[in-house]
Amino acid sequence: MDEAPMDVDPVDDGPRHMTAPLPMTPTPATAPADNMSKEEEARHSIEMLRGDDVSARVAAASRLESIASVLGEERTRQELLPFITDGADDEDEVLLAIAGSLGKLVRHVGGNDHAHNLLPPLELLLSVEEASVREAAFASMKTVSESLPENTFRDQYEKVLSRLAKSEWFTARMSSAGLICSAYPRFTSEQQKVHLSLFTGLCQDDTPMARRVAAQNLGEMIRNVVESNGRETLALDGIITTSLIPLYEELASNDQPDSVRLQTTHNCVIFGHAMGTLAKTGPLQANETALIQRLVPLIMATIDDRSWRVRWTAASKFAEVIGGFDALPSVMDSLIPAYEKLLQDPEAEVRTAATFNLAAVAKNCTTPVPVPPIGRMPTEEEMVNYQGERVSAAERLVKRVTSLTEDDSEHVRAALAMVATELAPILGKDATIIHLVPPILLLLRDAASEVRLNLISSLGALNEVIGVDLLSQSLLPAILDLAQDGKWRIRLAILQHMPLLAKQLGRDFFTEKLSSICVGWLGDDIASIRAAAANNLAELTKLFGTDWACEYLIPSVDDIRLHPSYLRRLTAVQACSKMAMEMDPGMASIEILPIILEMATDTVPNIRFNVAKELGKLSKVFDQNIFDQQIYPILTLLMDDPDRDVQFFAKKASKRTE
Amino acid sequence: MNNNNNNNNNMMDIEPDGASTSVSSAGSDESPMAMSKAAQTKIPDTVRYDALNPAATEKRYYDLEAWLSKLSMGTPLAESEVKALCEMAREVLLNESNVQPVPAPVTVCGDIHGQWHDLMEIFRIGGSAPDTNYLFMGDYVDRGYYSVETVSMVVTLKVRYPDRVFLLRGNHESRQITQVYGFYDECVRKYGSANVWKMFTDLFDYLPLTALVENSIFCPHGGLSPSIDTLDHVRQLDRVQEVPHEGPMCDLVWSDPDDRSGWGINPRGAGFTFGKDISEKFNERNGLSLVSRAHQLVMDGYNWSHDQQVVTIFSAPNYCYRCGNQAAIMEVDESLQRTFLQFDPAPRRGEAHSGKKMPDYFL
Repeated sequence: MDEAPMDVDPVDDGPRHMTAPLPMTPTPATAPADNMSKEEEARHSIEMLRGDDVSARVAAASRLESIASVLGEERTRQELLPFITDGADDEDEVLLAIAGSLGKLVRHVGGNDHAHNLLPPLELLLSVEEASVREAAFASMKTVSESLPENTFRDQYEKVLSRLAKSEWFTARMSSAGLICSAYPRFTSEQQKVHLSLFTGLCQDDTPMARRVAAQNLGEMIRNVVESNGRETLALDGIITTSLIPLYEELASNDQPDSVRLQTTHNCVIFGHAMGTLAKTGPLQANETALIQRLVPLIMATIDDRSWRVRWTAASKFAEVIGGFDALPSVMDSLIPAYEKLLQDPEAEVRTAATFNLAAVAKNCTTPVPVPPIGRMPTEEEMVNYQGERVSAAERLVKRVTSLTEDDSEHVRAALAMVATELAPILGKDATIIHLVPPILLLLRDAASEVRLNLISSLGALNEVIGVDLLSQSLLPAILDLAQDGKWRIRLAILQHMPLLAKQLGRDFFTEKLSSICVGWLGDDIASIRAAAANNLAELTKLFGTDWACEYLIPSVDDIRLHPSYLRRLTAVQACSKMAMEMDPGMASIEILPIILEMATDTVPNIRFNVAKELGKLSKVFDQNIFDQQIYPILTLLMDDPDRDVQFFAKKASKRTE
Repeated sequence: MNNNNNNNNNMMDIEPDGASTSVSSAGSDESPMAMSKAAQTKIPDTVRYDALNPAATEKRYYDLEAWLSKLSMGTPLAESEVKALCEMAREVLLNESNVQPVPAPVTVCGDIHGQWHDLMEIFRIGGSAPDTNYLFMGDYVDRGYYSVETVSMVVTLKVRYPDRVFLLRGNHESRQITQVYGFYDECVRKYGSANVWKMFTDLFDYLPLTALVENSIFCPHGGLSPSIDTLDHVRQLDRVQEVPHEGPMCDLVWSDPDDRSGWGINPRGAGFTFGKDISEKFNERNGLSLVSRAHQLVMDGYNWSHDQQVVTIFSAPNYCYRCGNQAAIMEVDESLQRTFLQFDPAPRRGEAHSGKKMPDYFL
């Protein structure tokens, strides 16, 4: 009984703490009155920008545009921008707002010809320590640079980038990598040489932070070089072969921190795409394919990387890797086995990410791949000079599905259940029946309810290829099982799939096997399930028609009307009303309306005011005659009810109909 | 969801010595007791919503509906809205009894403690108000991070549907306790001043102390008191004041049932412990079938004690975001049949950890 005292303030419970709703913004200081003119508003903002209140400065900084438009172009250039440049040591929140606003000021400083005036404050903001400020400044800088005419672009702007790249602060160098990369195509060829060497310098920077950003942009850089300097850069003595590809290798090497190595996969994808584009313009030269062959080992290295983050990145981008290299001959012979290795990675997170890509990898790989030797990974020799039979990637990968159904991790199996059926359209009917259906049947019997649920949610793809007849015998126990799952959210999810399943399984099968559980959910303990069950009955009524609903649903709903608990009876009211809206009005007035009207005399007020609510909604479904003779008298009765909530909802319902 | 017959072995004390903690923060030069006297002053007539004035009724209705939709999104009310809400709520609560009669059917809930997401889960599981009737047995604030949203929500529901929703006072609905366990700090953090805390704690003085479902189920927040033999004794209390450090009003919100018979010293430092003999006698004397109370963490969300004379209901799952307990609510239907619904914390979608990013040298 004597428990230790509990911590009074569990603040270290991070996520919850930070998601607390934001504090109220103190409105009086920041929000200008509505009746203020634009000019007054701008003057007010200038005052706030100078003031001591940080939140006011933030508000003013986000309205730089309106300040500038009032000041006019000249004063903006000569007063506002220097003022901002001077104030670049303000709080991060203010700087963030300024950095975001500067990109929108081009028009207000006098258009493209004067846009270079915006460079000095941006240059400062690109060097600050706070990453979010630099990011905002980076985005603004790109916008501004796009509007710069050639002369200032190649003069002032080029100088800013050089200064940033050579800056003592690594933050400035970090910002420069991306900017150089995107500016490269517009530089003169002399400048291109200079900046390419600045960029290579950044790739070899002393700080891993700068190397990381450079590595992020390396793939893009290569693409820009190929596009602006032509194919000769790929020749044996070309700049790419001699300096950039070695950088690829260097940045992917094991001496780098994993945050740098992480970029390898992405860069290889971009390079693959670039080479794929070239291949379309003319067949690849021997030296070019040799470059690709040089990259393949880098990708292969990420698969075996000691850091699981690197492997995870490779796994989650593998469909893109395949897509990027698909156009190139014989690369798939090593990439597909590499992917299979990721599917067997020791870390469950990596396997999950790889599994999510299963169908996309199979789809993106259009070249046939070797048939793997049974029961083991092929040796390197076998892979290099493979002469045997070849099959599509989907056919090879589908063999992996069975072993993934036995994975220890529930997340891997859940991912598999989500994508496995998408293999069906790629495989075609026969291969699906032989290879895919057996593991899918295993997944339907999986111990984890999420796995079964994911599979049932994704049956549509399979249904289109082979229909669900083959599965229906196994499907049914799985559905019935989920329908009674202990977790109510699982029950809710399977319940929400019912209309879709009804469509796929057809009316007869559904009526025989599943309609009774659909009605059964109306009596669930959980209110959300009961409400969803009422919706579901309406959906089924829409799908299978009025007669079907009258025969198979309404008798059971009518039974619930007499249930001892008002919460169940409430469900009956709601189900009736929702079904009536999907039915033929004539039939609804005979089959359903009497049930609802009868419940207007329930002893519990909650039922009575729900009758009123639903009658209000239904008044539009029925014609005037039925309304006058049947609905309105009941509403009148309810308007005089002793309970004030019943009166309220009855009055509201009758108002709606007038 | 079966009615199990455990004694209270798996109960845990919530505040071992909560009541005896002295108030040091909050910079008030008034003692808590002095403040409660201030709260007893008359309601200003100028701000009353006039029931006979249709325009005012209309505005009141639209305000309340707007607040409910705001609060159901998790957005706190503005300070001025809280002010208006508390004025309306005071009038509603003033008309209620110390032993507020509650008609069945009703769903009875225990402590929520600022766990707003789990309050929303209660509505998902038990049904939304006003379709389902609710009786909340106090402790809306403190501990959790969303006390403001939680208490605003239940009070708004009370004002909008006074016949469908009933609120009781818990030991945390007090100036003193809220300054120690989080509500005061949360108000200052979210509103920039203690005004909202003052408005709510002034309102708490008006909350009924107990409820009586269909003359059969007696619902205090804590438990019984040696100074109270009959329900009429409760009805005679002057409840509009800060919860005192001792006496019947304090006992109703602080006491706990115990395995030992008779009255005992409560290790919390406030209220008493009472044994099965006490509960039996009390129920028999007042013609009751059950004492339903909250106040203690129970791992299954509900817990029978004293041979089903007393039930504890606790509705904050994974209390303090760390206790790993289930929560429960009790549905009492029109024939007083009782069903317990247990639930776990509501799953939350991945949320950003922080507005500030990690410095680059950590990446």
